[in-house]
Amino acid sequence: MKKLMVLLLVISIATSAYKVTDTIHFIVPKGWPQPEYDFTQNPLTTNKISLGTALFYDPIISRDSTIACATCHSNKTAFAQTDQSFSRGIDNKLGTRNAPALMNLAWNTSFMWDGAVKHLDMQALAPMSNPDEMDESIKHVVSKLQQSKRYPMLFFKAFGDSIITGEHTLKAMSQFMLTLVSYNAKYDSVLRREALFTQQENNGYRLFRANCASCHREPLFTNNQFENNGLPVDTSLHDNGRMRITQDSANYLQFKVPTLRNIQVSYPYMHDGRFVRLQQVLNHYTNGIVRSKTLSKQLQQRIVLSNCEKEEIIAFLATLTDKNYLNNLQFAYPKNILH
Amino acid sequence: MRNLIFLFLLISSFYVSAQKDTTIQLTFVAVYNIPQKSTQPIHLQDFAFYSNDKDSIEIRTLKFYISGIELYNKGASVWKEANSYHLIDASDEKTLSIPLSFPTPLDYTILSFNLGIDSATNTIGVQGGDLDPMRGMYWTWQSGYINFKLEGSSPLCNTRHHAFEFHIGGYHHPYNSLQRISLNVSKDFNTVAYIEIGKLLSVINLTKTNQIMTPGKEAVWIAEQVKSCFYSQADIK
Repeated sequence: MKKLMVLLLVISIATSAYKVTDTIHFIVPKGWPQPEYDFTQNPLTTNKISLGTALFYDPIISRDSTIACATCHSNKTAFAQTDQSFSRGIDNKLGTRNAPALMNLAWNTSFMWDGAVKHLDMQALAPMSNPDEMDESIKHVVSKLQQSKRYPMLFFKAFGDSIITGEHTLKAMSQFMLTLVSYNAKYDSVLRREALFTQQENNGYRLFRANCASCHREPLFTNNQFENNGLPVDTSLHDNGRMRITQDSANYLQFKVPTLRNIQVSYPYMHDGRFVRLQQVLNHYTNGIVRSKTLSKQLQQRIVLSNCEKEEIIAFLATLTDKNYLNNLQFAYPKNILH
Repeated sequence: MRNLIFLFLLISSFYVSAQKDTTIQLTFVAVYNIPQKSTQPIHLQDFAFYSNDKDSIEIRTLKFYISGIELYNKGASVWKEANSYHLIDASDEKTLSIPLSFPTPLDYTILSFNLGIDSATNTIGVQGGDLDPMRGMYWTWQSGYINFKLEGSSPLCNTRHHAFEFHIGGYHHPYNSLQRISLNVSKDFNTVAYIEIGKLLSVINLTKTNQIMTPGKEAVWIAEQVKSCFYSQADIK
C-alpha cells in the first residue's frame, strides 16, 4: 500500500511539474505599471503562444488566403507598415486609417485609433471582418482551421481540445500579441543606469518632458487617452475619430495617443499617416495646430521650439528604438510551424 | 468501530448529494400575434411569413441572448442560475428550451432574466459556448454583444430587397440597451415565454426605421419595446 502511495505521489508531482514548465509568467518591466489585461482569464503557455504566432502570420485568416495580420503589421518595423499611409487589403482595396505599430498591448485600455475595441481578445475581429482588409468571418475562419491539416493538432496541444472555437482562436492570437513587449531601448538602459544619453539626447529628453510628456507619458509613452491634437481635417476623409464610436460631439477629432516607442522606424505618423518625417510632426506642433472646441487641454498653450531644439527632441526620440524588439526572432515568421 | 462510522458517513453523504432538485423547462416561443387562445410559433426553417391587410412580413432571423435567470418570491431573489448565458435562435429548436434545476422545495412567483448581455461580460474578454463570437452575435468593428437580432423584409421598406435589420446592442451609458424582464409564473411548472413579434413591428414605422446596426438612442428604444413583447402564460390569461 505504501509503495502505491509513493508511486502516486511521484506521478502527481511529475505531471504538475510538466504543467508548470508549459506556463509562462508575464514579466512586468521594473518600474512599469501593472498590465490592464487580466491574465487569469487567459494564462500564457508556450503552446498557445506558438499557435497564436502561426495565426498572426497565416493568411488563412482572410477570405482568399492572401492577407495575414503580418501583411500590414511587420515585425521589423515595430509591427507597423512603413511604405504606405493606408494599407492595401484584400482585392487591393485601400483602408482609411494608418496601421499602427504594435507593442506593449497588455497595458492598453482600448484598441484601434478610435478605441472601438475594448479588449485585446476581440481586436482581431475588426480587421478580420473589415471588407477592405480581410473580409472574413470568425465563424468561417474556424471552419477553415478545422479542415486544415495542421491546426487541429496545434489547438489540441494548446487547449487540450482539437475542436476549434472562436474563443480559442482569439485567445491564442491574444497570447502572441501579449508577448510583444518593448522595454529595451537605449532610453530604458539609461534609466537603468546602464548607459548615458549624449548631450543632444539629454537636452531632447528635457524638452520632451516639458512639452510632450503629458500625453506621451513615460514609460509607455502614451497616457492611453483620446486627444484632438489640432490636425487640420482631411476633407477627403472627414474622419471624426472617437466621435464615430460614442456619438458624442465632445469626442470630435479625438484619436488615441499612440506610443512613441520605436517611433523612428514606424513612420508614417498620425491616424492617417500624413507625416512621413518626425520633423513634420514637430513643425505641426509648433506651427500647424488648428484650434477647435475639442482641442486637447494639453495643447492650449503654444509650443515654442527652435530648429535646434527640434533636432534635440528627434535625437531623444531615436533613443526609444528597441533593436532587441525589432530583431527578436520569437516575434518573426514561425518557419517551424508554417513551413 | 472506526471503520463502521466511516462507512456510515460515506453512505449518508451519497444520500445527501442524491437529494432531488426540481427541474423545469423555460421555453421561448416567438409568435406573431397572441390571440386569446392558441398561438402559432414562428418557425424559421422556412421563412416565416405573415400578412394582414396593412402589411406582409417575412422574418428571416430572430436571435437573442437571455442571461441572469433568477427566481423571486415576494420581491426577494430565491435562486440564481449559475453561468447564466443562453443564445436563443428561432431557427434552431434545440436552443428554445432551457432546463432550470433548483433545490426542492422552493417557493417562487416570478421568473426574471436579462434580454441581452451585461456590461461586465461585454468587457471581460472572449468567452466560449453561447458567448463565442462565432455564434454571430458580437459586433466585430466595435466591441459589444448584439442583445437582440431581428431581420426580415416588408414592402414598406424602401431598402434593398425591402429588408429590415435590427441589431440591438450597446452596454455603455447612456446607450445601454440591456433590459430586465420579469414574468409571472406558476411554481414548479414548465414556463413558456412568448415573444410577440407582431406587437414589436406594429410600433415601428418600417418606412422610416428599418436599419439599426449600432448602439444609440434608437437601439435603446427598440430594446424597451421588445421588453414589452414578452409574456408568460399567466400574463396572457
